Amino acid sequence: MSNTKLEPRSALDSAKSASRSHVEIKVLDGISVVWIAARKGQTAALVARVNELYGVSLTLNPRLASSTGGIEFLGIAPDQWLAIAPAKDSHDPASKLAGQLQGLASIADQTDARTLIRVSGAKARDTLSKGLAIDLHPRALPEGAVAVTHAAHIGVILWRPIGSDSFMLACSRSYSDSFWHWLTEAAAEHGLAVS
Amino acid sequence: MATPNQPNRIANKGLIDRRAPLRFTFDGETYHGFEGDTLASALLANGVTLTGRSFKYHRPRGILSAGSEEPNALVELRSGAHREPNTRATMIELYQGLEAQSQNRWPSLKYDLLSINGLLSPVFVAGFYYKTFMWPASFWEKLYEPLIRRAAGLGRAAEAADPDTYEKCSAFCDVLIIGAGPAGLSAALAAGRSGARVILVDENFALGGRLLGDEVKLDGLSGLDWVRQTAAELRTLPEVRVLLRTTLTGAYDSGTFSAIERVADHVPKPAPHTPRQRLWRIVAQRTIVATGATERPIVFGNNDLPGVMLASAVRIYINRFGVTPGRNAVVFTTNDDGARTAIDLHAAGARVAAIVDARPDPSAAVRKIAEATGARLISGVVTDAQGRLAVSGARIRPYNGSAIELPCDLIAVSGGFNPNVQIATHLNGKAKWDNALAAFVPGDVPKGMTVIGAAAGSFALSRCLTEGARWGASAATSTGYPADVPYVPTVADTGYDIVPLWRVKEAKHKAFIDFQNDVTSDDIALAEREGYRSVEHVKRYTTLGMATDQGRIGNVIGLAILAEITGKTISETGSTSARPPYTPVAMGALAGHHRGKYFKPTRLPPSYDWAKEKGAVFVETGLWLRPQYFPVPGESDWLETVNREVKTTREKVGVCDVSTLGKIEVHGNDAATLLDRVYINAFSSLPVGRARYGVMLRDDGLVMDDGTCARFAPDRFFMTTTTANAVKVMQHLEFCHQWLWPALDAQMMSATDQWAQYSVAGPRARDLLAKIVDPPFDISNAAFPYMAIAELTVCSGIKSRLYRLSFSGELAYEIGVPARFGDALMRRLMEAGAEYGAIPYGTEALGVMRIEKGHVGGNEINGTTTAADLGLGKMMSAKKDYIGRVLAGREGLADSKRPSLVGIRPVNRAARLRAGAHFLEKDAAATAANDHGYLTSVAFSPMAGHWIGLGLLQDGPQRHGEIIRAYDPVRGGDTLVEVVAPCFIDTEGVRLRV
Repeated sequence: MSNTKLEPRSALDSAKSASRSHVEIKVLDGISVVWIAARKGQTAALVARVNELYGVSLTLNPRLASSTGGIEFLGIAPDQWLAIAPAKDSHDPASKLAGQLQGLASIADQTDARTLIRVSGAKARDTLSKGLAIDLHPRALPEGAVAVTHAAHIGVILWRPIGSDSFMLACSRSYSDSFWHWLTEAAAEHGLAVS
Repeated sequence: MATPNQPNRIANKGLIDRRAPLRFTFDGETYHGFEGDTLASALLANGVTLTGRSFKYHRPRGILSAGSEEPNALVELRSGAHREPNTRATMIELYQGLEAQSQNRWPSLKYDLLSINGLLSPVFVAGFYYKTFMWPASFWEKLYEPLIRRAAGLGRAAEAADPDTYEKCSAFCDVLIIGAGPAGLSAALAAGRSGARVILVDENFALGGRLLGDEVKLDGLSGLDWVRQTAAELRTLPEVRVLLRTTLTGAYDSGTFSAIERVADHVPKPAPHTPRQRLWRIVAQRTIVATGATERPIVFGNNDLPGVMLASAVRIYINRFGVTPGRNAVVFTTNDDGARTAIDLHAAGARVAAIVDARPDPSAAVRKIAEATGARLISGVVTDAQGRLAVSGARIRPYNGSAIELPCDLIAVSGGFNPNVQIATHLNGKAKWDNALAAFVPGDVPKGMTVIGAAAGSFALSRCLTEGARWGASAATSTGYPADVPYVPTVADTGYDIVPLWRVKEAKHKAFIDFQNDVTSDDIALAEREGYRSVEHVKRYTTLGMATDQGRIGNVIGLAILAEITGKTISETGSTSARPPYTPVAMGALAGHHRGKYFKPTRLPPSYDWAKEKGAVFVETGLWLRPQYFPVPGESDWLETVNREVKTTREKVGVCDVSTLGKIEVHGNDAATLLDRVYINAFSSLPVGRARYGVMLRDDGLVMDDGTCARFAPDRFFMTTTTANAVKVMQHLEFCHQWLWPALDAQMMSATDQWAQYSVAGPRARDLLAKIVDPPFDISNAAFPYMAIAELTVCSGIKSRLYRLSFSGELAYEIGVPARFGDALMRRLMEAGAEYGAIPYGTEALGVMRIEKGHVGGNEINGTTTAADLGLGKMMSAKKDYIGRVLAGREGLADSKRPSLVGIRPVNRAARLRAGAHFLEKDAAATAANDHGYLTSVAFSPMAGHWIGLGLLQDGPQRHGEIIRAYDPVRGGDTLVEVVAPCFIDTEGVRLRV
């Protein structure tokens, strides 16, 4: 019995798609999310180590992201980051980072705790402004900006990926259904495509 | 030439599209109007002047204004579930098939039987409900209130749920401009050209404000052409957003404003996926208030009769809508602007019978107008309007002669203009009285706000335009977008020259101040006579200004009359506060998306889909939707199901989704120290690979939460909390770390949603899990005893955590896998457990089993109990300090007589127990003084075969064996019960260690 693999399931497995679209919504599976929190007094050493390993400078401003192309580090709180890493199920970025950053940071896998959704298209900003109470204009939220906020009574982490004209949202897995309902309702006026 | 069937339509005039005729009904009659009409203008075009009955006296009422201040022409719009009461005909855009009904009349508008209230008017004066219906008190609810509600009221709300949708939206800008009249448009142009983010809002469906209602020239362009030209340029500016049909309803702290956009009120039905209205939250660095001014009437007899209309509204109907509201008019004015209405009436082909100028000396401008229009100029006042359902004449008293009566069908009135200062005063700024303008103008305004144009008392068009240009540029510049003051077109200003007149004392008939609330000038006098002399008291006693127009028509007049009566100046009399919202806001817009099931978000546990397939019945626990029980065919009620789930779990094996418990990763070299300080018991002594039950107190010494905490490494703990307190505990830990002990090396992250976690409980739990864990993990009792924990893999390599914990009292485990595998693991567990008779169980069975074991839950950890109350006093470490320790030692909390945890069973085993029943000594009277505690949790125990309970009983642990009463007057219960130890099964705790 135990030699058959368990099949993973997204919290939004049943999401359906619509036709005309000024907003595109994509649920992103297979992306790892790893929480990194600097140990007391180890911030500088951690930043140096991450730089050495990934060639990226962790931002100390919790509202910014930095990226190496492969892996993105979001500042979500003082001395805390989320690493967003494309990964297959067989890889385990959390364990890898835990090994690499031993003694410098606390690490926990958050891959399953968050549902990642990408919102793009001409009306993406208008759609999101129906639930997010923050300024989404590129002057206020340029590429690389991160916000820990809420949408429609649901906590979300929002960021603007570097080099892309889209919004990424991470909401807690158990809220996905309610979040999805709000997001699709908000987008429906503009016509949405779900992929 | 009049349009067929629209007798009052003027040829070749107005911003209506004559190629787009629209059909509509009012009180069942069919009429026609054009695109660009409001319901009010279309009714007037059709000669309909009677639109409703008044609130208290059921007096016939017509259209007074052409804007959102309309107090009279309130109608029910649409029908069925879409019916909306009290909509202002002046704000409703006409659409094809529009249906409207008049309100507050029975049986019909023309023959309203309740207008007898008018004859009873001495009964309905100010404060009538405080006086007339005071005695006997018992009559109030049954007789007086229903009677008043039927007689005095406005429209009827729809009885069915609102089928339309609403939404909320946030917007941010550098410069917010409120009002798109000449001042606002000029400001938008100046600010917008700089590249600053500009939002321009206007409650109307067309830009332009008064430029659409008055005949003016700007550098030779008509008002409309200038508006079109300006709008065209604004459209080319990408950072300028224009929100029409959007009423700015309130100003709040730090540059935050609320606004209502009527997205689809002007169409029969909203387009698919389009909300009917949208509530905007606008955050602006700088705000320009260009809200214009509202004309006020003059208080004379029968001044509420249909056909009495504000002079500016008359001009708007003529110029913007191509409708003449009358054929034979009297213009009654206190200023030059009102008199100019005669020019437009004359040009529209109406006869102007007279201009009645209330000023002591009519100005030269008025004399010229009278000459040009052929109107008789009378220096004097209109004392009364004449007519029953509509104006048929005016009774005029010239200052230099005796009263005359002139037949007419329209009395255009101008008592002067009140700047719309509401938005500028929402944050408690007081408006100040300007004697020259005879009006309140903005006083102190909030930081970042500038009031310009007519809203600031600058009534001249040239000043509106120049102030807009200057302040628009200045606002943009101050937000970092340098702007030049743009060129302003040349205009020919006209004068104002007001000498205020508030009421005509010679009026023979009722003279209204607040039309919507039926407040007359006599009411003000009465209030004053009865001692209500403060403007705030007069407002509340007479209800002046308390209608949905918030006194925009009548407030200033009312307090001016009060000032006159009390012999004070208007400044001394003061004004009442305007509060948000500026115009009525639908509850639906405030709710937005969050209605019904979506009032709050719902959290779904990982096994939700599977449980639904299995036909589970769900229960809301906080935001979570959890399986309550899993009925199978043949079971007749929930108790039968729950009994089966409990028995099967205790005899075989049961699986329950416990993912909803709060889970927190607590890491760091000082994690153990932090835990020692937040739990009453020690965690630094917990070995790696073990879990421990812990209790946390609040600062005040009462229990906050309980749960287990596992240690995976010296510096890595995994805490669980109750489902209800997960967020609170996380906040508590963060507070303790960030504020109390920032020096500790500790980091916390919520892991509640990361792990799907299932309790596998019952004698066959190990057999089942042996089929799940990957070799070589040894799950034997020796290798993995009670309270052991491990990181391992299951089902061929899935990362997992296993905890040997038991809430049920059985041999039990909790198994966690990353949440995306939760659905599959539940299915796998049920497959693998089939041969052992495995079943799923829900929160009910969970609750029964914890009561059988005497474990405390939310009913006991209820914010009033100490650890000792719950029988957990021994856990309170004497070797360390922890939050709540000191205050838990307070006299009242340390009292051994406090109600504390006991088990309860009925003496008559067939009796049912009810949670909430109070404990009394066997023979004590049922009084509060004899209260000894209460039953907190009850359940039917299938193992014991009768009802059992947990309760908090005074001196409880010393009273095992005593027979007491469980008294429940609410549900008629009075049961003899026996006090026992709070554990009904396996008291030695053998089962969970096998």
